[in-house]
Amino acid sequence: MDIRVLHPSDIPHVQQTNITNLPENYFCKYYLYHALSWPQLSYVAVDVSRPKKTPYDAPKIVGYVLAKMEEDPADGVQHGHITSLSVMRTHRRLGLAEKLMRQSQRAMFETYGAVYVSLHVRVSNVAARSLYEDTLGFKNNGTEEKYYADGEDAFSMRKELDYLREEALDDESDEEGGTIGQDEGAEVGSAGKAGDGADGEKKKERKRKVKVGRGLGVGELVERNESAPQTNGTS
Amino acid sequence: MAQNSQILPSKEASLFRHLVQNYETKQYKKGLKAAEQILRKHPNHGDTQAMKALILSNQGKADEAFELCKLALKNAMKSHVCWHVYGLLYRQQKNYEEAIKAYRFALRLDPDSQQIQRDLALLQVQMRDYTGYVQSRRQMLQMKPGTRQNWTALAIGLHLSGDLAGAEDVLHRYEESMKHTPSRSDMEHAEALLYKNTIIAESGDVKRALDHLDSIHKTALDRTAVMELRAEYLLRLDRKEEAEKTYNKLLKRNPERRAYYAGLERSLGLDRASKEDHQKLGQVYHEFAEQSERIDAARRIPLDFKEDDAFREHADKYLRRIFKKGIPSAFANVKQLYSDPAKKEIIRELVEGYLNEEPQANGGAELAKPDVQTNGSTKAQIKPPKLDPVLTWQLSVNYFLAQHYDYHLSRDLAKAQKYIDKTISINPSKTDYTYHMARARIIKHRGSTVDASAAMNEAREMDLKDRYINTKCAKYQLRNDQNSDAIETVGLFTRKEAVGGPLGDLLDMQCVWYITEDGESYFRQSKLSLALKRFKSVYDIFETWQEDQFDFHTFSLRKGMVRAYIDMVRWEDKLQEHPFFTRAALSAIRIYLLLHDRPELSKDGGQANGESAESAAERKKAAKKAKREAEKVEAEKKLAAAKKAQPAKGEEAETKKEDQDPQGLEAFKTAAAQPLEEAMKYLQPLLELSPKNIDGQIAGFEVYIRRSKSSRSSARTDKCTDGIVAGNYLPALKCLLAIQALQPEHPKWHEQSGRLRVALDGLSEPLPDQVKQVIDETYLSKLDTKKSMDESNEEYLTVHRDSAAHVQSVVRLRRALHPDSSDATVKSAQDLRDTIGSEATSLQDAEEGLRVLDELRAGADAKESYVKAAKERWTEATVFQQR
Ligand SMILES: CC(C)(COP(=O)(O)OP(=O)(O)OC[C@H]1O[C@@H](n2cnc3c(N)ncnc32)[C@H](O)[C@@H]1OP(=O)(O)O)[C@@H](O)C(=O)NCCC(=O)NCCS
Repeated sequence: MDIRVLHPSDIPHVQQTNITNLPENYFCKYYLYHALSWPQLSYVAVDVSRPKKTPYDAPKIVGYVLAKMEEDPADGVQHGHITSLSVMRTHRRLGLAEKLMRQSQRAMFETYGAVYVSLHVRVSNVAARSLYEDTLGFKNNGTEEKYYADGEDAFSMRKELDYLREEALDDESDEEGGTIGQDEGAEVGSAGKAGDGADGEKKKERKRKVKVGRGLGVGELVERNESAPQTNGTS
Repeated sequence: MAQNSQILPSKEASLFRHLVQNYETKQYKKGLKAAEQILRKHPNHGDTQAMKALILSNQGKADEAFELCKLALKNAMKSHVCWHVYGLLYRQQKNYEEAIKAYRFALRLDPDSQQIQRDLALLQVQMRDYTGYVQSRRQMLQMKPGTRQNWTALAIGLHLSGDLAGAEDVLHRYEESMKHTPSRSDMEHAEALLYKNTIIAESGDVKRALDHLDSIHKTALDRTAVMELRAEYLLRLDRKEEAEKTYNKLLKRNPERRAYYAGLERSLGLDRASKEDHQKLGQVYHEFAEQSERIDAARRIPLDFKEDDAFREHADKYLRRIFKKGIPSAFANVKQLYSDPAKKEIIRELVEGYLNEEPQANGGAELAKPDVQTNGSTKAQIKPPKLDPVLTWQLSVNYFLAQHYDYHLSRDLAKAQKYIDKTISINPSKTDYTYHMARARIIKHRGSTVDASAAMNEAREMDLKDRYINTKCAKYQLRNDQNSDAIETVGLFTRKEAVGGPLGDLLDMQCVWYITEDGESYFRQSKLSLALKRFKSVYDIFETWQEDQFDFHTFSLRKGMVRAYIDMVRWEDKLQEHPFFTRAALSAIRIYLLLHDRPELSKDGGQANGESAESAAERKKAAKKAKREAEKVEAEKKLAAAKKAQPAKGEEAETKKEDQDPQGLEAFKTAAAQPLEEAMKYLQPLLELSPKNIDGQIAGFEVYIRRSKSSRSSARTDKCTDGIVAGNYLPALKCLLAIQALQPEHPKWHEQSGRLRVALDGLSEPLPDQVKQVIDETYLSKLDTKKSMDESNEEYLTVHRDSAAHVQSVVRLRRALHPDSSDATVKSAQDLRDTIGSEATSLQDAEEGLRVLDELRAGADAKESYVKAAKERWTEATVFQQR
């Protein structure tokens, strides 16, 4: 299995993986919207073991994470969001979902200065909750009632991305001096403690402002795209 | 500019401005009202009529809009507004060529209009008219040189048209003109720099690309891309030590990226193909594996290059480790190794050995570590209790062996069955359907689609909330031609409010696999109109995907993510090479060929002809049920609408219409009238975009050879002169030669080559000289024509007796040589029957043989004897049961 960033040409198979595994589906244009707005954030797991039948065989996608930056964060804090995540049953428990998530989180932090990443999960989804809470360290941030089309509640979860700042600093100590993931004059000191989201205001001052989405006048397409997932809710 | 009658007094002029505003903000009702108001006093005001037309067209009234716009043009030939609208209407119809013409007219009347210029540019890039696009973008840049987007867009145009130096120069000039350094977080800037870097690299000057990359290192925000590019450049410049360092860093970030390991190997100068390097390679991977318990790649890759005892040792460790963890995907992870028979054998020995081991004795080298929670908060209550390790081991080993013996390269279905039954008997979980699913697959391979479908449904019922098993079950139902059961199954997960029920949702969500399988199932049942309808849906989905790029020509410029945009454009350029398209296209073409060869099949609109009373009743039942369902959905929709009681997005949301022709009968009429012309729609993209796909070439030959003979199509269309008909021999030959080049031993080369010769020998009129010359030079002169075709066909048969596919080709050619000989048919039926006795013949081969018998119109006896033999060999196979 190969873990790499998603390319537009992967979309047909990503779409197939999605509709095979989950009831929340989207059409091609919505995937394109992700891939062309935040091309660094979505990742795929590719089964490299399949022998090619023709020179045109598309890479067989067995897992993906579709991710974005929140366009107009209500709390004013720059953050990422997981739109959809799934892994084919035949390839579960190999650690793919975890690895996909970690790659995406790092890119959110490095490229867009995301302070945290959020997502929704079905209250009854044991596998996904265990992945988020136990393996990845997401915190439950409250319940959204009847979030899903079938009436099920969602937990709204989030994870602070501070830990990546330290990793980046570690990296830099042995490097020619990149300053990735750090804004001019960031106060790195206080970032050490595991943020619990309570000091959102402070973070807001610290965060690096990155222009995304509507700020650039995406207007029309986003609106049309946002009707893309239809009314069946996002993941 | 406008004629006098076209000038509005100030009150109406202001109304007109409102009208335009209303249109732009999608307040269509208001807009129409304003238009009416103006037209009451100035009924011939062209611009107003044009704006009204535009609104109408956005409301889906295309015909009315075109009428009105033509009237507008009559009233105001010289109005750029009218021409612009005319172009927009064409654009909505996706008639891009006409749209471009209209825009050009409009632009001539109003050369300074940025709007028109922009709309024109959009179409040019959509149509890949890069010369035109570059021209337009130059204009736009001149008008507004202050906007970065305009520079970037011109660079994109130059880049895509192949002018790398020009593209780089444009980007460079903008950078020079920048007054102040953009902020660190300026994504547009960061991306433009990286874009420029990839252009430099594409031009081949790697050294300069690396220097440039180093200079933008701090500004570029896409850290992964920067590191990947750097590693690649260093490697290409043979600066191996630095490359090694960079690949190591990349691997620290993502230890599951195969390309990084490949890069690392190269920078270390190690080569998997040379045995001396294996020791060192093993060491490298060992070190990575040591770094974390969760890395798979570093443990798995050595299995690719290690051999013999080293392989055995490593495979033993690898398998023990995953079996102990109880990872169900173990087999998926190693089956690639089975293409090497020695490795396949070692794996089998190892795993069968595990069966007899005392579970405690399997300690091995790496003890499975207890799960490390990376982040404090253990929510122990949602974790299922850990299984007994002995049981985990036994489940893993038995399940692996079941899959091993089910896999086509190591198939022994009786053993597979035994191991899966064992696995299921010790599976403690009532919801984990993994093993039941494997059981269904084994049954499928035994040939019973009926039992396989039932078994998969059992698996589904173990976990009704899981869509994956639901999907699998639907697929098995389709393979068993239970179309209405399948749609009911998927309907458990589709959106309730979707127009057209579950199928409508699958179409909306572009669920290509289902639509294709559904079509193939109808094809098997000879329900040709429905089958074609499904394949057409797949065709349409690809059209939509093509169309989807349109908005991104603007969007991506605003977002500034240029590299991703370029990726998309290049993908869209060869969109239809996707196997999803090829599969549906090949099936559609087969149907068209059938309709051409047997026009009688198009009676009853291609519904299963000779339908039994029983299935007719079933169809009625299904239709009734579908109607009930539709009513239910309709009611639910109304309810939902009432509940919401809020206007949908925009004033007039697009409403999707019910399908007026669910059986596809209308389209089928056209298809049946000119099947070969319709086939061309599917064939052309295949030949153009996937020329190396041998099945496409084979289909191409079949279409062209019929077109070259087809008096039928020439009579109908009247346009087809004999010259054009004859002209189809060359494309047929081209396909044939492609087949030969791709796979000279392919049976179709033998068959189709023979059939081409038969056709050429039987021409009623000689071919035009030029055509004849080409055929002689490239083809006939190279054939060995000493033996008669009959002789060489029979010789071919002797050599290839054991291969069903070859025998089928021999038989087809024999029919072409002796179309009316009943002796030949008898002999052919016997030859086909004999293939069933051949070890190498697969169930699929045998099914194809049955189709060939149909083509030969061999009598009922011949068919019966064939089916009887097949039944004896594949006792459970559904295809032969039903006959
Ligand atoms: C949730 C899902 C994405 C997990 O994918 P995966 O690749 O199998 O997960 P991983 O192998 O990376 O699992 C990482 C950890 O998550 C937890 N986990 C995963 N699946 C679990 C399960 N079925 N039960 C309990 N814990 C589970 C475990 O802690 C696991 O670590 P471990 O294997 O070392 O014990 C996958 O089950 C899936 O696609 N489900 C259907 C779609 C879905 O629900 N998506 C989430 C929507 S929000």
